[in-house]
Amino acid sequence: MSTINFANREINFKIVYYGPGLSGKTTNLKWIYSKIPEGRKGEMVSLATEDERTLFFDFLPLDLGEVKGFKTRFHLYTVPGQVFYNASRKLILRGVDGIVFVADSAPNRLRANAESMRNMRENLAEYGLKVDDVPVVLQVNKRDLPDALPVEMVQAVVDPEGRFPVFEAVATEGKGVFETLKEVSRRVLARVGST
Amino acid sequence: MVEPSLVLYGALYQRAMDVLQETLQETGARYALFVDRKGFVLAHKEALWAPKPPPLDSLATLVAGNAAATQALAKLLGEARFQEVVHQGERMGLYVDEAGEFALLVLVFDENAPLGKVKLHGKRAAETLARLAEEALANPPKLNLDTQYREEAKALLDELLGN
Repeated sequence: MSTINFANREINFKIVYYGPGLSGKTTNLKWIYSKIPEGRKGEMVSLATEDERTLFFDFLPLDLGEVKGFKTRFHLYTVPGQVFYNASRKLILRGVDGIVFVADSAPNRLRANAESMRNMRENLAEYGLKVDDVPVVLQVNKRDLPDALPVEMVQAVVDPEGRFPVFEAVATEGKGVFETLKEVSRRVLARVGST
Repeated sequence: MVEPSLVLYGALYQRAMDVLQETLQETGARYALFVDRKGFVLAHKEALWAPKPPPLDSLATLVAGNAAATQALAKLLGEARFQEVVHQGERMGLYVDEAGEFALLVLVFDENAPLGKVKLHGKRAAETLARLAEEALANPPKLNLDTQYREEAKALLDELLGN
């Protein structure tokens, strides 16, 4: 599903950060933006409300470099997590190549995690996709919370069959952010030429 | 149905570039872009006299998002679609038209380009590009990216994001 621009010798992939409101999706992108050297990243676009909640999406293009004459690029997006922005979430999933599901470790967000995963499945289905059709990586964020739930408990709710690779993270400190991005990127690349 | 990848290659790409070039000349617009609805640039042209364009990735992404939102608005109002979108500021304007089911034509113009001309020639160009997109979808090129591509890309990932 990648987009190829033969004239510019570019292969573009779309990776979407999905998850409930305030789970840390935008924080992941901000960390990535702050650490990637100039020249390897484009402008970060954030469409947010005044209190910095994502309204439509965040967007960050990354240049991996040139492989076999093709510039390989990842376009990272976040979706708004709040329940009532589902129309935006659905639009952003169009043409997705890989997904990072950012789950919240707080006990009172367990239900929101489950609801967001259910919502993601529904929205993918609108594009004729199942979760097995797209590489998905689960990031269990906010591991620094004093009352953080065990990872297994979060996983049991959003991915009871244990199909997705799991990464623990503290996105505010950058812990687990690159590891998660790397894994989803690797999985996306592994599908090039095989689909 | 899973959305197919729209890939322009060889003669098709050249024809798309010719359409964009012609449209720039006819309308006096600064930049012309052919983008897919996922938000990626498929082809773009700029007028010789035009200053450096804004980041095209951001432009294409925002236009695609906007077009999708516009389509959802149309449905809310009982319309199948709003085919074109025009934004006009004091100095700059943006014209977006559907180029078939999977792509969009974007024209960025300034106060020297009459809106009527932009709309007239923009619509014609969008129709031609829609046909090109159909052809491209009917005959997708073989990419032939093999294991070597994947391995080299993974090595670059390690370099960028750490081992």
